[in-house]
Amino acid sequence: MVKGAFPIFRRDMRVMRRSIFSELLAVVAYPLTLYFAFGIGMKGYIGTVEGVPYPVFIAPGLISMTAINAAFDESAWSMWFHRRVQRTIEEYRTAPITVYDIVIGKIFSGFMQGAIKGLAVAAVILLITSFRVEAANLASYLFFIVLGSMIFSCIGTICGTMVDKPENIGRIQAVVIVPLVFMSGIFFPLSSYPPALLPFIKLVPTTAIFAGARQSLLQGGVDGGYAANLLVTALVAFVAAVQTFNRKMAE
Amino acid sequence: MRRDSLPGTVLPPGSTDGGSMTDMSVDIRSVSKWYGSLAAVDRFSLEARQGSIFGLLGPNGAGKTTLIRILTTLIRPTTGEAFIEGCSVLSEAKKVRALIGVVPQENNLDRYLTARENLELHARMHGMRSADYRRQVDALLELTGLANRQHEFPDTFSGGMQRRLVVARALVHRPRVLFLDEPTTGLDPQSRRAVWDYVRDLQREMTIFLTTHYMDEADALCDRIVIMDKGRILEDGSAGELKERFAHAHGYELQFRTGLDRYAELLGRLPFVTSLVRNGEALRVTLRGEEFLKPLLDAVGTDDLKGVCLREPSLEDVFIELTGREVRE
Ligand SMILES: Nc1ncnc2c1ncn2[C@@H]1O[C@H](COP(=O)(O)OP(=O)(O)OP(=O)(O)O)[C@@H](O)[C@H]1O
Ligand SMILES: [Mg+2]
Repeated sequence: MVKGAFPIFRRDMRVMRRSIFSELLAVVAYPLTLYFAFGIGMKGYIGTVEGVPYPVFIAPGLISMTAINAAFDESAWSMWFHRRVQRTIEEYRTAPITVYDIVIGKIFSGFMQGAIKGLAVAAVILLITSFRVEAANLASYLFFIVLGSMIFSCIGTICGTMVDKPENIGRIQAVVIVPLVFMSGIFFPLSSYPPALLPFIKLVPTTAIFAGARQSLLQGGVDGGYAANLLVTALVAFVAAVQTFNRKMAE
Repeated sequence: MRRDSLPGTVLPPGSTDGGSMTDMSVDIRSVSKWYGSLAAVDRFSLEARQGSIFGLLGPNGAGKTTLIRILTTLIRPTTGEAFIEGCSVLSEAKKVRALIGVVPQENNLDRYLTARENLELHARMHGMRSADYRRQVDALLELTGLANRQHEFPDTFSGGMQRRLVVARALVHRPRVLFLDEPTTGLDPQSRRAVWDYVRDLQREMTIFLTTHYMDEADALCDRIVIMDKGRILEDGSAGELKERFAHAHGYELQFRTGLDRYAELLGRLPFVTSLVRNGEALRVTLRGEEFLKPLLDAVGTDDLKGVCLREPSLEDVFIELTGREVRE
């Protein structure tokens, strides 16, 4: 059914391969800066959080953050660019493929960008810092990165589909994405929230991404509640992205 | 392009097996498209025969692009229905898309892919395998003179080269109907002629549906011309027929020694002058009938008049007479 998504996905992967090496420095620079500024800079003041040294506490979140930001960016900008600037979406739409093929191809491209860039940051952090993980925990951690990238690729696709002015994509990022990411406990434990608020915070999908991923990486295992939250969110985001695109194209 | 100059084995997917019910390649039935209170296309009906070159002529905003977007399944008509090779653009859109090649008004090349990759992506979206499309892509790059720049990005191409690449891309899957929306706007005379040459050669293999602002283009290429404005058909026929039909268009050219502006204003106010166009140092007018020549000359007097001559109607005159204006760019 989605055979037509492959040429589009392949096109995006080809373009990504060309630029990924020159991009990686920029991709890695931001989380590494945060790692050193907070992890090393604050280490003396913070010591350990929830039983682990502070740099170790923030590392998994920085990796997840890179992944979901990259997925969102790629999907939002790519969709906007192909729709509004190059108008290549119209070329796709006059080929015998469906709008579902197009949007699914784009969502998977965004997802791949997120997953690859997240892994690149993970590799760099493992290489140049003393941060170490159990190999056995990686699979469950990947589960969270994959779902997180998927969800944010869908959200990016929705933005890139609905937003016509590029500056508004930046605004959505500043007002929605950044608060969601930073308030989900990358830099502080969720126990810092007032207990009354905590149940609600735990329902936010980004909390599930960051807290769930950290738990998987540092302690092993997958938290059932977080996993269920993310699976449902991913499904909803996917359906919403496909429908949004479908509706926009029918205008 | 000769048929035998291209590897000719690939049939477009979705091509009708056996005889089709009609030999009409494009069949438009009372199509309208409304944007708010504006009818961009207004109860438009038309049939174009297989293997013909069909030209849609109209000033800016006439509704040409809107009509092409409806026929290429990009937008849905508000009312009405259209068929491409017997397939409905509404209910069989995917089948229609397998049959058509589209050259949109604005180039929509992928600037992150090389020229060749642009063609290859198109082929893959049409379900072709690399064994099927490799030679076809080679041949088209050769034909459009882009073979030696095929590994470069379209950003580095001139406007004419980009346009040729868009045309080549539309041909990769060997469409049965080719839609060209102003294929030569912005090209130099040489490139225009090159495009005309391909289009003429292609006619043997497919129906061509083009829009243009250029009278000479329509005259040189099209078997049949429809002039439209404000979403409606104004006139329909071959270039010869249209000129014939408007032979009554009494066109005169008046040359003046001085005061061109003043005379233009004066002529514009005369009720029997149906059109007025400035052509260098002369004014071209069309009169409602022969009998108005004398009143015309009485009105302008002989003080500044240098000469008057009768003009053979050109397609341009037909156009101006019909739309009441010059072809706008
Ligand atoms: N998306 C839209 N929303 C509102 N009005 C539109 C839209 N698209 C086209 N129109 C209007 O429909 C009319 C026909 O436009 P169209 O682009 O079909 O003209 P055209 O004949 O292709 O003109 P040109 O020669 O300039 O390309 C115009 O008045 C235009 O403003
Ligand atoms: Mg147009």
